[in-house]
Amino acid sequence: MLTVALLCVAVAEGAVRYRSQSAHNQIVVEDKGGYRMLRFNGSMETRLLIANPLLGHFEYTDYFQMPLLWNPKAKRVLVMGLGGGSTQRAFQGYYPTVHVDTVELDPAVAKVAKEWFGVKETKTHTIHISDGRGYLRRNKNRKYEAIMMDAYSSNTYGSFIPYHLATKEFFQLAAEDLTANGVLAYNVIGTYQEWRADIVGSMYRTMKTVFPHVYHFPAADSQNIVLLGVKANTGGLTSATLRARVDLLRRAQPKLPAYFGPRLARIRASAPPSAEQSPVLTDDHAPISKLLVPAK
Amino acid sequence: MKDDAPTPRGRTLALGALVLLGGFAVMVLEIVGARYLQPWFGGAFYVWTSQIGIVMLALALGYGVGGHMADRFKKARFLSLLLAPAGIFILLIPQMAPGMLDGIVDRHMKSSASVPSAEPTASEAVRTGLVITETNLLAEIPKDFLEGKTNNAANNLPAPPIDEAPPSEIPAVWRKLDPAIGSALVFLFPCFVLAMISPFMVRLAARQVAHVGTVSGLVYAASTVGSIAGVFISAYVLIDLFTTTQIFQMTGALTLGLGGLCCLIDWQWPEDLQDD
Repeated sequence: MLTVALLCVAVAEGAVRYRSQSAHNQIVVEDKGGYRMLRFNGSMETRLLIANPLLGHFEYTDYFQMPLLWNPKAKRVLVMGLGGGSTQRAFQGYYPTVHVDTVELDPAVAKVAKEWFGVKETKTHTIHISDGRGYLRRNKNRKYEAIMMDAYSSNTYGSFIPYHLATKEFFQLAAEDLTANGVLAYNVIGTYQEWRADIVGSMYRTMKTVFPHVYHFPAADSQNIVLLGVKANTGGLTSATLRARVDLLRRAQPKLPAYFGPRLARIRASAPPSAEQSPVLTDDHAPISKLLVPAK
Repeated sequence: MKDDAPTPRGRTLALGALVLLGGFAVMVLEIVGARYLQPWFGGAFYVWTSQIGIVMLALALGYGVGGHMADRFKKARFLSLLLAPAGIFILLIPQMAPGMLDGIVDRHMKSSASVPSAEPTASEAVRTGLVITETNLLAEIPKDFLEGKTNNAANNLPAPPIDEAPPSEIPAVWRKLDPAIGSALVFLFPCFVLAMISPFMVRLAARQVAHVGTVSGLVYAASTVGSIAGVFISAYVLIDLFTTTQIFQMTGALTLGLGGLCCLIDWQWPEDLQDD
């Protein structure tokens, strides 16, 4: 009886506001404790604070702003994977001059993001319904200062990287679409030491085959590590160049959020420990499901 | 029918192995193939839809045509004539398919020649041989900034950029049909030939009309058991252990082997050829 009562309370707390089924996802929008949450196939994608949509998001999306250090006056960036649009909202809020192209596979997700998560298509934000790799392939003329990768397929067991967006060939394609100073930021779901450490190591090594410099930022509030691949082969960051980049960015982007500094402080430059034994992923061999299985 | 003598056990086993391994090969192609198509068409729903649909189409055609051919030619070695090119086709998928699939995808691209990027190279080129550690990277950045206690001095904003060329989008109908075209180009022919094995084996194994029910039932069952094994072994084992190139090569070699087995059956049990 008690469990039944508790269950009822739990259900009553979270109110499902919207539910739909697309060709790709079962989508649920839920309000709970002042937060609005987006679930795909049971797995939580996005949350925001209903009172202030620029807050309450997963912290890892903040690291998608780090490419601006290399491109303080970025004109055009590409975000793969819309979800609830945390990155898009942040760019519209803090970097209003940057044009964001979003590539999202599922038109139903775009609809939900607009209706429930305040995502707008404006002069500086365009949503393209497409597979990410296909989009890059068809738009080689369009160069981006930054590409942010957050395209996952989700089910109740969690989120999974589509392998064709994680191989050496994919990164080569993405690098072609980046400007000379371009930076690719990749949200990798995993940790350094245990849970999904092999995929983190593999992604690091694979990105390193294309990008001369790879930095990474472990999220503080979730098991995400954002890898940053820098295309320019002009020497890695030093304390002096990073300082210079920060100064340039602060001048170029007057609305730079106050949290930018604390996020930057989490930067890491050395290879994650799992990189040594994890394989480089290629179109021909990308054993992602094997990498996700924890070693016994 | 000439006689009621029991079919030699070896022949029955050979026919069974042909059917089983044929079913196995079809599903390896289906499962590994769907994954193989992902770099061109994406990983989602429509790739699976088209791969399943096209393989079913190949099976339907193979069953229909295969049954007809079996009545007409009767000899197992006729199948070798088709299994050999199918095997070679599968072996060569890694070499042939990328060009064809590129063609399907790239026909949607804007015809405009690629504009070379006019970006300047990175402005400062600081080359240091120093090992970077996290702490010294941040050493020169003001502490209050790293702690989030400051904000930026306002600065003049440049005007929002104007969108030059609209991006290249695929019409919705091609988003759905392109993967099917890709599946068909790469997998229709080999799966069609492999599907012909089953009705052919019914013809070779059924020596009396009275037993056609049993024989065809066993053939369906053996083929399906092979297919089930193909599905799970592909997904759980092959994809993890081998490259897709290797998997196609192994499946091509297997298909060539099945062609050889057909010849072997004719040669080993010539008296069993039916001529009614």
